[in-house]
Amino acid sequence: MRLPSPATVRWGLLVLLLVLWEGLPQTGLVPELFLPSLSKTLVALWAQREEYFDALLVTLSEVGIAMLIACGAGILTGALVGGIVTLRKLMLPVFSSLYAVPIVILYPIFTAWFGIGSESKIAFAGIYGFFPVMLSTAAGIRTIDPQYILAARSMGATLPQQIARVIIPASIPTVLTGLRLGGALTIIGVVVSEMLTSSAGIGYLVSRYRTILDSAHVFAAILMILLLSILFDLLARAVERRTLVWQTAGRQSRPGAAGSSPAVPAPAPV
Amino acid sequence: MSAIEVDRLSHVYSGAEGGVPALQDISLSVEPGKFVVIVGPSGCGKTSLLMMLAGLRHQSSGTILCDGRPITAPDPSRVGVVFQEASLFPWLTSLDNTEFPLALRGTPRAERRRRAEEMLNLVGLKGFGARYPHELSGGMKQRVSIARGLVQDPPVLLMDEPFAALDEQTRMTMGHELLRIWSKTRKTVVFITHSLTEAVYLADEVLVMSPRPGRIIDRITIDLPRPRTYEMMATDTFGKLRERIWQQIRKPE
Repeated sequence: MRLPSPATVRWGLLVLLLVLWEGLPQTGLVPELFLPSLSKTLVALWAQREEYFDALLVTLSEVGIAMLIACGAGILTGALVGGIVTLRKLMLPVFSSLYAVPIVILYPIFTAWFGIGSESKIAFAGIYGFFPVMLSTAAGIRTIDPQYILAARSMGATLPQQIARVIIPASIPTVLTGLRLGGALTIIGVVVSEMLTSSAGIGYLVSRYRTILDSAHVFAAILMILLLSILFDLLARAVERRTLVWQTAGRQSRPGAAGSSPAVPAPAPV
Repeated sequence: MSAIEVDRLSHVYSGAEGGVPALQDISLSVEPGKFVVIVGPSGCGKTSLLMMLAGLRHQSSGTILCDGRPITAPDPSRVGVVFQEASLFPWLTSLDNTEFPLALRGTPRAERRRRAEEMLNLVGLKGFGARYPHELSGGMKQRVSIARGLVQDPPVLLMDEPFAALDEQTRMTMGHELLRIWSKTRKTVVFITHSLTEAVYLADEVLVMSPRPGRIIDRITIDLPRPRTYEMMATDTFGKLRERIWQQIRKPE
């Protein structure tokens, strides 16, 4: 018998999961309070669709602004720290250590500074997403195969030409990896901070409905966050695929060269 | 006038206790259109010498003239370089890679295209312009590197162990191909290699370097007729020339 393809298995598992989500609570094996069935969750979502939609808009705008900050500042700082030796020696250990700090402990301070509105979420999520972007940009620039620079110099490239035509294109793969990680962390940052202290957003809905033990609405909010993250990941992958025709194959044929991305630390726990 | 004239070049790497002498009192002169091969043990500084000829590194003392003018910085209009590793940019196609030196100087696009395509044809890669480096074999990548080195039509081509990463058969073919390209373009070539067979097969003259600090300890004129053929490798003359170089290299210092 021919084995089904991994994709088929993955979709099968997803369907199975959804069937279990619908079936288990109905059998009574799992109390509705712990796990409301899929259909009840969807009904709850539909009934309060305006509330969820407004919350989604708040969350999305916070995520969007935080991502801009994280990516902009992250790429800029990463480029400076990765490209300038003295700055790297001075700052990189500091940034690497800071990355391991659970930045969520700073959130109460942010709410004191910026209030419980969107500003504190954006500040927190922006900083949270900043680190992987900055670290991978620095790594991307640091690990460029020196042979590329040498070749460009032999062909008469000036420093600005080396940056524009060699350093930037060569570091794009690692920078993109960082953007994907940083983007995901920004979403986490926004949702977590909304759950902690806030008055709007999907995270806020999760914690508000939880306090009144309305499981169906909690799960409806969770479902939306899940979809949001999956959507972001698909988008990020699509961008990576489009930009990196040369990268995937290069990785196989020349391990350790600029084509392969150096390991970016896994996201720190919130 | 010589294509390349090196006069009493020495180099010392700065380091603890006054530095490490890397190259010592090197003088050489290469006539235009000649194919000169430099051989020597690992670490003798032959790559450093080539970097200096390319203007990519500065010597501690001595002068390098190319076309009668000193080399102080990379000058792609006088010197083209082909490196050991395929140093092609993986994000550019073969054609864009070949065009790269011209793009740096702001040559108009149409002109660039035309020159690059001409060069790819010359190195036997007609129709491969749209391929990315990862879609090419090792030998093909080095062909693109040669095309890139020649695209600005410099009188001198420097080659740093260009075929070292290739398998034996591809290496032989590429050597033969290089001679064909050279006979068409009549460039002055300075070629660095570990392989004595490659040296004798390609060269008009072989310069043998000593272990560090690198000096030129022998100059051997290879008077085998051109065009060279694979059959020549089996001849007595070839064997003797190869043996003479080997004796120089293995000589304990």
